[in-house]
Amino acid sequence: MYEQSPPIDAQLVAGDQLIPVDTRLTSRYSLMVRFLNGNGFKDGAEFTDLLIRNQGKEIGLGPCRLICEPNIDGYAGRIVFLKEVYDLKRLVEENKVVRLQSSFLNVPLVLAHKKRVKREFKNYTSDLTYDLNVYKSLFDKLDEEYAEEAQSIRDSIQMAIINTEGVRFHRFLDDRLAELERMVKGFNRAEHESHGFYFRRQLWEIILTAPFMRRTNLKPRGYAGDSEMMSMIYENGYRGKSTFAKLMHKHPVGHPGAQAVRNRRKVIREMIRGVGDQRNPSGADPLKILSVACGPACEVQDIVQTAQDPGKYDFTLLDQDRNALQEAANGIDRVQRRLDGQVKVKYLNESVRTMLKTPNLPGKWGRFDFVYSMGLFDYLTPPVAAGVLGKLLKLLRPGGELVIGNFHVSNVSRYYMEYWLDWVLYYRTESDLKELLRGAPGDDVSVFFDETGVQMFLHVKRHESH
Amino acid sequence: MEGSMKLEIKPLWDEVERVREESASFLTSKGLEKDAVFSLSMVVGELVENSIKYGKQGDEKALVGISLDVSGGLVTVEVTNLVDDTAYAHLARLDRTIQWIRGFQDPFEAYVERMKEVARRQMEDKESGLGLVRIAYEGRAILDFFLDESEILNVSAVLNLE
Repeated sequence: MYEQSPPIDAQLVAGDQLIPVDTRLTSRYSLMVRFLNGNGFKDGAEFTDLLIRNQGKEIGLGPCRLICEPNIDGYAGRIVFLKEVYDLKRLVEENKVVRLQSSFLNVPLVLAHKKRVKREFKNYTSDLTYDLNVYKSLFDKLDEEYAEEAQSIRDSIQMAIINTEGVRFHRFLDDRLAELERMVKGFNRAEHESHGFYFRRQLWEIILTAPFMRRTNLKPRGYAGDSEMMSMIYENGYRGKSTFAKLMHKHPVGHPGAQAVRNRRKVIREMIRGVGDQRNPSGADPLKILSVACGPACEVQDIVQTAQDPGKYDFTLLDQDRNALQEAANGIDRVQRRLDGQVKVKYLNESVRTMLKTPNLPGKWGRFDFVYSMGLFDYLTPPVAAGVLGKLLKLLRPGGELVIGNFHVSNVSRYYMEYWLDWVLYYRTESDLKELLRGAPGDDVSVFFDETGVQMFLHVKRHESH
Repeated sequence: MEGSMKLEIKPLWDEVERVREESASFLTSKGLEKDAVFSLSMVVGELVENSIKYGKQGDEKALVGISLDVSGGLVTVEVTNLVDDTAYAHLARLDRTIQWIRGFQDPFEAYVERMKEVARRQMEDKESGLGLVRIAYEGRAILDFFLDESEILNVSAVLNLE
C-alpha cells in the first residue's frame, strides 16, 4: 500500500527532540517510516508522540514504537501506536480522526440502559434466547447431517424439515410473540423503546441470521421499508443460509402486517383497473396515475397484463430512492418485453418533504385520474402528512380518486415489528386519517380496510364539478 | 387542557431564551408535568436555534414562526422560517438525518451512534449534529419537516403525552 500512498508530513517526538520523518500509509493502523537528516533508530525504539500535518492541521497521535523491517527504498520499518489507535486511512483520505477505541466511550451509558428494563422482561428475553439457541443448534446439526448430499436432495430434505419441525418451530415463535404482547402492551412509549433496545441486544446474533430481520434492523438504505424489504414481503418465501435462517426469515414475512402489504398491492391493482374500465373503457385516453413513494411499484406489473394494457395507462412514479425507481423500471421493462409494448412511465426522484416546495405542481406534472400512496403516510407526522395530502389533492382531475394507505393502531404485528424488526410506524385511527384532510370540501371521503384489518385506506373521490 | 400558542421572532440568538421561557410557561399553564415542560422547552430551543442557523440571512421579512399545540394527547411544536437555495444541501441532509433517527425504535440508539460519530470528528470541526438526536432522545419527540412553495421550511416535533 505504501508505494501508492502519498507521503505524510510528520515528525516523531523523543523527549524534547523533534525528528523529521517521511511517512506513508502501509496499513489502516500503521505507517512506514523513513528517517530524514541521517537519523537512525533500533528496532523497538519508542517515541513520545508522532505529529502529523494533514490539510493544514497538526495532530499528535501519541506514543508509538518502531518495528524495523528490511530496508526497502530507504524505509526503516513501521510505526505502531502504543495507546490510542487511530484509523490512519480515514485520517489521510477523509480528514477524520477516528480512534479505534472510541466505541467504548459509550459503554457506561449503554450498560446503565438495562436498569430501565423490568425483571420479568429480562427473564422472558433470557429464556427466549436460550430456547432459540437450542432450536438453532438442532436445525444446524440436521443441516450438517445431509450436507454431503446433492443439491436437489438437500433441497427436498430441507423442505421436509421445514414442513414438519419448521411448522412446530413457527408455532413456538407464535406463542412467544403472544407472550411478548401480553407483557408489553401496557407499556408507555419510553418503556417500549428501552425494552426493545434491550431485546435486540440480547437477540442480535439470532436476528442477523434471517435476511429480512437483518435488513429491517440494519436499514442499509438509511430508512425502513425500502424496496428490497418490500420485495421480500411480496415473495413471502424462505431465504437464508441455513434451515434455521430460512425459518426465521419466513416467520415475519408471513405475519399479518406483511400480509397487509401484499393485500394492499391487490387492492390498488383492482381499484386502478376498476377506474380504468369506468373512465376509459375504450382505452383511447390513457388513465393518468401517480404513485407517491412508489418503491418497486410491483402493482404496475400486475395492472399491465394484456397486450392492450400498455396504451391504457400513463404512470408517474415518484420515490426518494433511486434504487427503488431502478427496480420499478426493471420490472416494467420485463412487462414491456413480455407484451412487446411500451408502457408510458415517468420516473421522479424526489423526497415528498421537499416536493411540496414546487410551485404549480399541476402545471408541471399535469393532473391525475388516480393518485395513490401505500406505504408513505406511516412515516409522516400530522403536520407533514396534512401538507402532503393537501398538495396531492390539488393534483386530482375532476372525478379523480386518491387513495392513501396507513397501518391502523390495532396492527397485530406491531410489537413484532417494533421489538424484533426495529420498525416503527406512525399508526393512525380512522378519524386521525380523515383529520389530515383538514376539511377539504367538495369530495366524497371514506375509509376502508384490507382483509387483515391492519391496512387502512383513505379514499377521496373528487366531484366531477370540482 | 388543550390550547395553542403562536410566536414570531427575529432570527436573533438573543431571542432563543425568551422563546424557551414563553414556551415553558405556556406548557405549564396547560397542565403538563415538569419533566415534559423541561424537555419540550429544550425541543423548542433546538428547533429555533436550527432555524436561525440555516434560515435565510439578511432578509427583514425572514421571521421565525413558532407554534405549540396541545390537543388530542399530542403536543405539536412547529418552527417555520424562510430559506433560500443555499439551504437545499442542508435540507437533503436534514431529510436523511430525520429518517435515520426515526429508523431506531429507541432514539437512545441514535444518540449512542451519534456520540460515536462526534468522537470521530473532522480535524476541521463542523457541526456535531447532536441537536436533532437530543430532540428525539431527550425530548422524546418525533421529528419531521417539509418545505412549502413559499420556501418556508416547517420543522415539527410531535410528543405523545399518553
